[in-house]
Amino acid sequence: MSLPNIVTIRELSKEYRQGEINVVALNNISLDIAQGEFLTLMGPSGSGKSTLLHIIAGIDRPTKGVCRVQDIDVTKLNESRLADWRNQNVGFVFQTFNLIPVLTAFENVELPLLLTRLSGKRRREQVNTALELVGLAERSRHLPRQLSGGQEQRVAIARALVTDPKLIVADEPTGNLDSGSAQEVLSILQLLSRQIGKTVIMVTHDPKAAAFGSRSIHLEKGELTN
Amino acid sequence: MTIAGFIVRNALRNKRRFLLSVSSVAMSLFLLVTLQVALRELTNPINDEGSTLRIIVRNKVSLAQPLPARQLPTIERIPGVAAITPFSYYGGLYKGDEKFTSFAQFAVDPARALDLLSDARVPPEQMQAWIADRTSAIVGKMTADRYGLKVGDRMPFTGQIYPCDLEFKIAGIYQGTADDRNVMFHQKYLDEALGDPGTVGTWWVKASSVEEAPLVTERINKAFANTSAEVRAETERAFQLGFVSMWANIKILIGGISMVVVFALLLVTVSTMSMAIRERFRELAVLKALGFRRRELFAFILAESFGLATLGAFFGAGGAWLLYRTLDMPKLTGGMFVVFEVTPQMLALAFTIAAVLGLLSAVAPMIGVARTSVVQGLKTLD
Amino acid sequence: MALPLRYSFRNVLIRWRSTFATVLGIALVVFVFVLLQSLAAGIEKSSGNTGDSRNIMIVRKGSTAESASLISRENLREIQYFEEIARNERNEPLISADVLVLVSLPRIDGSGEANVLLRGISARGVELRPQVQLVAGRWFTPGKREIVVSSRMAKRFANFSLGQSFKAGTASLTVVGWLDGGGSAFDSECWMDADECRSLFERDLYSSFLARPVDEAAGAKLLARIEADRRFKLKAEKEVAYYQKQTMTAAPIKWLGGFLAIMMSVGAVFAAMNTMYASIGARTREIGTLRVLGFRRRSVVAALLIEGALLALIGGVAGCAIAYLWNGYTTATMGFETFSEIVFEFTVTPRLMGEGLIFAVIVGLMGSFLPSVRASRLPVINALKSV
Repeated sequence: MSLPNIVTIRELSKEYRQGEINVVALNNISLDIAQGEFLTLMGPSGSGKSTLLHIIAGIDRPTKGVCRVQDIDVTKLNESRLADWRNQNVGFVFQTFNLIPVLTAFENVELPLLLTRLSGKRRREQVNTALELVGLAERSRHLPRQLSGGQEQRVAIARALVTDPKLIVADEPTGNLDSGSAQEVLSILQLLSRQIGKTVIMVTHDPKAAAFGSRSIHLEKGELTN
Repeated sequence: MTIAGFIVRNALRNKRRFLLSVSSVAMSLFLLVTLQVALRELTNPINDEGSTLRIIVRNKVSLAQPLPARQLPTIERIPGVAAITPFSYYGGLYKGDEKFTSFAQFAVDPARALDLLSDARVPPEQMQAWIADRTSAIVGKMTADRYGLKVGDRMPFTGQIYPCDLEFKIAGIYQGTADDRNVMFHQKYLDEALGDPGTVGTWWVKASSVEEAPLVTERINKAFANTSAEVRAETERAFQLGFVSMWANIKILIGGISMVVVFALLLVTVSTMSMAIRERFRELAVLKALGFRRRELFAFILAESFGLATLGAFFGAGGAWLLYRTLDMPKLTGGMFVVFEVTPQMLALAFTIAAVLGLLSAVAPMIGVARTSVVQGLKTLD
Repeated sequence: MALPLRYSFRNVLIRWRSTFATVLGIALVVFVFVLLQSLAAGIEKSSGNTGDSRNIMIVRKGSTAESASLISRENLREIQYFEEIARNERNEPLISADVLVLVSLPRIDGSGEANVLLRGISARGVELRPQVQLVAGRWFTPGKREIVVSSRMAKRFANFSLGQSFKAGTASLTVVGWLDGGGSAFDSECWMDADECRSLFERDLYSSFLARPVDEAAGAKLLARIEADRRFKLKAEKEVAYYQKQTMTAAPIKWLGGFLAIMMSVGAVFAAMNTMYASIGARTREIGTLRVLGFRRRSVVAALLIEGALLALIGGVAGCAIAYLWNGYTTATMGFETFSEIVFEFTVTPRLMGEGLIFAVIVGLMGSFLPSVRASRLPVINALKSV
């Protein structure tokens, strides 16, 4: 069974000036990503893999080319539309977790929902569901500093899930974790893709992490290799 | 690149913070200096050489109570008295002024007053003209300049204290005293307007020598003890200080506020400058790793915080000094403030405070540097 | 949609150590402002509180103060028979001729002398001022060298206790009673018999007349009549109006308070800005994350502004609280109208405290504005990448 493509990228390029040098971050990338895939982007540092991820996720713009996510060309949306779009359609997981230190786990996961019109009751339900999925329901009242690295990242995944987005985007999610926690996190991501049908796109330089994915692509100097 | 250059470049790394830190120090020191100048202007009696010989004699009841004119010959005969003139504060409202007139008018006996106005410089013909014309007056140069008055002009006044309005013809302009603002006119003119009540406001007496002055005050006081108009004679300085003591509360208030300002300033600047240095822990740790000794790192920190504070003092206190030299204070404040100058002591105080500030704000970072090992310092990524 | 208030609130709490100094700085600025204005408010309150709304005060035309005015007995003889003036049960016209004398008396703490306002007053004068009450002893006997001093002045000047005497001029005055002016200008006065006063201080002329007109209409007529008559050279106005105009002492204090507050607050704004730049600067990644999650720039700016305002507000509350400790504290200074010592209380009104708080909030907002806008403007990627 072939699922429809959720992401369609055509001739995507990104250049920028760094002082006097013109840096080519991405060079004419074309790519299709199917719904439900767990795609890993690999490559050495400076290869453009993070840039590609950022463009797909709507937090950076290409210099040329098209990136459609479910029929919406994200490269054409303006700032505020993009913000709304991100809120509804993308879940982020960062290497540095990026939880808000003054909010509890529950409140952190609830944050994206505050931008929707859901009632307090519905929000609570969705947050609890997300926390249970990552196995942290009992720690919902804890502050980030009271959680271990792995727990923090799992809360971050719950936050990424809570608006039920199509895409989960993860930038080196296990970079700051010990191998045990890393395994947990990668298993959850895999579960999201295989059993819940989310499309997961993950940047990593670790082949063992990449093994959790369903497909792997390599970038070097802004171009797809292999 | 020299060490000094390195320190300067470091300090300027975050230009905005540098600017803000210097500005808040400058602002607060500017305010501190201004408060002190105002205080000094309001409370310090004006001092000149002649004042050590001069004595003011007033009614013991209060300054507002007049003295009988017949006291003059008695005082004149007292040993040690070199000169005496009536000296009555008229306190009129100058034409055009709404609520108060910022310069004083005094009724005197011009021929006698010459001796007491020893510092004043008046062209002799103007002096003679004054003595000759009963309705005339001499005006201090500051007031004359302020209102654009010259010899021959008329000055009308409405009586505030005395129930009579007077107009004077300007016979001369004087300068050279510590307070070139006043108008001096004839006591006889005032007497006529009042219907000869036979009183004066106060006596202005000159002692024959500095040693005699305190003795003369005693003799004058004794001379009128138990009469119907007992007097209090005091040296001019004591008299002025007495006036000033009525302002006691204002002095305390301004003094208190100055302390508050300094304290607030200290607090804020110390904390912000410390914050600035805390951020550069990693950098300092790297320097340590490179071989710079603790001593040298302390010197860097101190140099930066001192430099910041001193710069603030320069702009704040120095700015105040410059500002008050160029501004025409009498004009701006309607005569309320005349001199308004920043003394060297005030500048010294400001720079001292800045130095203390510099020292205090370096303390916390220095302790931090001393305590943190290179490894820990390098670890501070966040 | 906005960021929850608790985000701003908790950020203020969590950073209390680094922002402590700035909060204290703002507290001090507000304290100075409120204190000085409460000084002025106290002076104004005591003069605004003075006088009976029915009475009419008559002084010499052109004099700015009662103590500087001089009016003659002939004037009294004529005016007291005007039909506009009310009469008491004994059919005496309700008009009082007062003499104001300044006397230099020693302070109780030995710190020198200060001018005290003595009012030579008649029995009818006391009647016309029902606001003034006797709180100890008795009223002076006409014809005797007796004096009733303000109870508040009694605490500040030597020999003002009941039964004590002090020298004024050639004679000795005995304190027979204490009066309370009810928080008005009369709290800074001492009263004695008018005739004794005149003979003691050799005064031919009176300082002022106080009259009670029959009614409002008669009062208006009286005012017009006195103004119109050129022989008199007198000025008549309602007693309360006269005292309300005595703003010369409060005005410079108010001005000083405002001036100081503005200057100090400029420094405070710089300090707040510095603090917020540092505090916000340390959270660039956090702010980037919020924007990634979909929060708009203006929501971020709003949350940060609220943080700054809250911070400053805490300082403001502290400043008001410390200022309030001075509320009701009695103090004195030399009044510019009378050149005598005036007693009054620091009056920290709710309105003043409100002004202080608003002031603090404005300082906080001004201080956080630039840092907040700057932080929100950063492109999301740069924010995420920062250390």
